[in-house]
Amino acid sequence: MAHAMLVPARIAKGRVTSVDTGAASAVPGVLRVLTAKDYPAPPETDENGPPPPPPTILDAIAYRGQPIALVVAETIEAAIEGAEAVTARYAEEAFASKIDSKGAVREETEPREAGDGTRALADAATRIDQRYVTPTQHHNPIELIATSARLTDGKLRIHESSQYSSGVRGAVARSLGYDPATIEADSSYIGGGFGQKGSLYGYSAIVAHAARLIRRPVKLVVPRSQIFHQATFRPEAHHHVQLGADTGGKMVAAVYHAEHEQSRAGQFPPSDYHEATSRLYDIPNYQGTAANIRLDRNDPGYMRCPHPHPSCFAFESAVDELAIELGRDPVEFRLANDGMTDVLTGKPYSSKFMAECLREGARRFGWDRRTAEPGSMRSPSGGSIGWGVAVAAYPSMMVPSIGTLRVYANGRTTYSISGHEMGQGIRTSIANVLVQGLGIDPDKLEISVGNTATAPQHITAGSWGSAGAIPTTAQAVSRMQSALKQLLGGRTPRGDIHRRLASTKRPYLEVQASALGPGQDASALESLRQGGYAVAGPEYPAFTTMSYIAHFVEVEVEPRLRRVRMPRVVSVADCGRVISPRTARSQIIGGVVWAFGSALREGTEIDPRYAGYLNCDLADYVVPVNADIGEIEVDLINEPDPLANSMGLKGLGEVVMAGASAAIANAIHHATGKRIRHMPIRIEDML
Amino acid sequence: MRRFTYIAPTSREDAFSAFAAAGEGARWVAGGTNIYDLMKLDIERPAHLIDVTAIEGLDAIETGGEMLRFGTNARMADVAANETILRDYPVLSESLWKAASQQLRNMATVGANLLQRTRCLYFRNGAGGASGGAVIYPCNRREPGSGCAAIGGIDRGQAVLGASANCTAVSPGDWPVALTAMDAQVELAGPQGARAIPIAELYRLPGETPQIEFTLGDGEMITGISVPKTRAGRRSTYHKVRDRESYAFALASAAVALDMDGDTIRKAHVALGGVATVPWRSPEAEAVLAGKPLTEGLAEKAARAAFAEAKAGKLNGYKIDLGIRTLVDALSIAAERNS
Ligand SMILES: Cc1cc2nc3c(=O)[nH]c(=O)nc-3n(C[C@H](O)[C@H](O)[C@H](O)COP(=O)(O)OP(=O)(O)OC[C@H]3O[C@@H](n4cnc5c(N)ncnc54)[C@H](O)[C@@H]3O)c2cc1C
Repeated sequence: MAHAMLVPARIAKGRVTSVDTGAASAVPGVLRVLTAKDYPAPPETDENGPPPPPPTILDAIAYRGQPIALVVAETIEAAIEGAEAVTARYAEEAFASKIDSKGAVREETEPREAGDGTRALADAATRIDQRYVTPTQHHNPIELIATSARLTDGKLRIHESSQYSSGVRGAVARSLGYDPATIEADSSYIGGGFGQKGSLYGYSAIVAHAARLIRRPVKLVVPRSQIFHQATFRPEAHHHVQLGADTGGKMVAAVYHAEHEQSRAGQFPPSDYHEATSRLYDIPNYQGTAANIRLDRNDPGYMRCPHPHPSCFAFESAVDELAIELGRDPVEFRLANDGMTDVLTGKPYSSKFMAECLREGARRFGWDRRTAEPGSMRSPSGGSIGWGVAVAAYPSMMVPSIGTLRVYANGRTTYSISGHEMGQGIRTSIANVLVQGLGIDPDKLEISVGNTATAPQHITAGSWGSAGAIPTTAQAVSRMQSALKQLLGGRTPRGDIHRRLASTKRPYLEVQASALGPGQDASALESLRQGGYAVAGPEYPAFTTMSYIAHFVEVEVEPRLRRVRMPRVVSVADCGRVISPRTARSQIIGGVVWAFGSALREGTEIDPRYAGYLNCDLADYVVPVNADIGEIEVDLINEPDPLANSMGLKGLGEVVMAGASAAIANAIHHATGKRIRHMPIRIEDML
Repeated sequence: MRRFTYIAPTSREDAFSAFAAAGEGARWVAGGTNIYDLMKLDIERPAHLIDVTAIEGLDAIETGGEMLRFGTNARMADVAANETILRDYPVLSESLWKAASQQLRNMATVGANLLQRTRCLYFRNGAGGASGGAVIYPCNRREPGSGCAAIGGIDRGQAVLGASANCTAVSPGDWPVALTAMDAQVELAGPQGARAIPIAELYRLPGETPQIEFTLGDGEMITGISVPKTRAGRRSTYHKVRDRESYAFALASAAVALDMDGDTIRKAHVALGGVATVPWRSPEAEAVLAGKPLTEGLAEKAARAAFAEAKAGKLNGYKIDLGIRTLVDALSIAAERNS
């Protein structure tokens, strides 16, 4: 195995005019230094085909940190030393790195609308008009992004920490001119993903090509500082929220404009900020506009709870402001504005238990003991106590999946299916269904996920992993039972499923299963087999499906130093049927912790003079520590959705984070009377 | 990361001769928690590392004599947990256990701690190492004469006291602030013999030469730290405000020890961290406090005196307010402790 290290561009925009690899090649142990001229030109793309694969190494520099060379060496140390010895000359151009930079280009996108928002706002009796800012953030899973490539028996085998193994295969095939059938991408274990590993990156092909050239396996682990510069991230977004209520205190208008940092060619869609906020309340007039602000930066992308987290921070802060303006209790006000119809489509929700989340959360939290006046509640040590609430939603999507189940006579069971494990516990949820359905021994059950060699793979993200895998798995269980029954032909031998099978003298029995989302047909399965994007929802032909959550937060603000602590949280979620209570609860706890981090800790700093990420390590990119987190009590409504899929489940992993940051900001307002309209809320905002 | 040699001599004599023999590019290493980090960032580029932790007799913790004495190689964790220190000098213990993490404190030594380098983002991430960012930032501390990117940049973490037009980088350590408040001496040894200097003399203001951070001769080694015993130690605290509850450097901190006569302060020891380019003793605050009963009003007056000369940049002005509040809080915590 050889080791590789990338060399980052030292400019934000322009061209590499020459790369000096002499010193790097002279480092003992360096095998090869590859630059743009060693790579095939990017493939031709046609407008109707799939988007181009991410570029490998180019001379045209679009963002700071873009790879300009790859150093391959016998050891990781030599690769690093070599990479640091590579120098380059550049023709640098002026660049724009922040939303307010000169050269930033605003590009409006399709609005999402219902009724007449502007008109209804003008007619409203009470209005809120505020601006909120949510920061640039990076995922920072502990497990760094990494890839390795090896050529054996005419196959290119890639191990990559990706939530999208089939995408990796496709991108490498197209970049390097391989037949996809000759590539296997294995992402069985990837560590934390959080969306960062759902994007496709140029280094997959960069490293695969190196392995082909040097005829040895090559491995690359991208250092964290380079991940900041190369991997996708949550872009800074500016939210202008205007809300209007009629004389009866019913919300009648929402006019919400969101715009965010975007690369010059990036696709991360700004109109999706409206997905959740339009589906919380019965607001008949919703005008949702959005824009990209095109900059000379790397591509932003999906980070856990991608749009609803920032948008619910803004929107649910504004709803709180409106409730206060109207003199209404924030929980009662939200309940009074609940609705059962998706205003954007006019169709009903397949299920919506937001009100139940609010009521149960309020009961568990003891909300009725809250006094409304900001600053009116104190802790024994003299701190100001604040109680805040917020709700949130997240689209519940469906993805088709294909599973192959084998039960062996010798006691083993194997199952391979579409979907990736990135810490959310998809293996556990799948195992629960198999173990309960077949009465098998979990220790003799092998589950393969994330591997293109064992099942067609989709991009596993957006909380659709379990929703995609579980119905298929349930179907596999029932197919297995009927296949065995048929095989036994009316006999009922004793013993577990393996012994019953053994009685037929067969070594194993195999069944296949697949499931589709509502409204999907066989073409979705075909698309899955091709490694395409086959996701449906949240707008299905007859209904809309969203998951919901309500968060109740207590903060305490120290009297003199003004540090904010969060002693307790109650979060209640509606994710349809709960398949795996333990992993579900753990998702909620993790989501709340991250929302705390987002509200009070995390932000990536960009110095606009350089367009580089400044605090690009875990010492300076501040995520929460254990000592930051108080009690988190979670509950699940556990009402199966009657329409979304055969098992009645909805997505959970994303919605859990949404809204909790707003609940924190609302609690800070309740504690101090201070409304802070940006994240992260830091000590300087509290003084 | 560059190639280097490594040896771990067991006596001082061997260490000094190894250092001399290594010539250019020789550096001491102890726990390695700072220097290895800086090597990965390509800021420190030693050709030869000489490990001091195998040298015998340099790790003692002595609390029985006239002075408290800590051998340079005593681990942060051990000094923090020492019973006498915990009971009689909470300011020292707290400054250690509020720093870094338990794992780091198990490795890191109290002598090398004094020489840890600034956490200024532009200093750390701008040297071109594979572990740094993708920008080479100008930095007078790293590359004398190149300029200072922090001035006019994202200066939220930068110093408000002791800065110059060339550098605003904060002195990061907590322990050095506590030692500064407690009049510690740093014991040094070199090929030319041994000497001791007041800790304040170890640190140099950036001025025109920010690249020269410490007053240490070539090949000189820290051998230990001594702290005069004082009953003020019991009424002491190290109060630290950071961006999270643990595992972060100070935004503002205060080391306070009070020698009280009834309600009246006989003598106050006050030093500040997180806000200054060196561990910052505040004779101004001490003068306000001396001879008076401690009230909230007096504490505030003293704290304002400590920051009278503070200068804010773009984003770090809050440190003045925060520093004042931290010191006021620290004074009341210390005063409430039993003597
Ligand atoms: C993630 C992280 C968080 C941290 N958080 C904090 C914090 O909150 N507060 C805080 O105060 N500190 C913090 N630290 C810093 C930590 O306290 C220091 O890294 C540690 O004290 C250095 O001790 P060491 O023995 O590991 O030094 P080394 O890294 O071995 O050496 C540091 C320096 O001292 C020199 N040196 C070593 N021994 C001698 C000697 N005997 N004589 C002369 N020179 C010598 C070395 O050449 C080097 O320049 C943190 C560190 C890390 C990595």
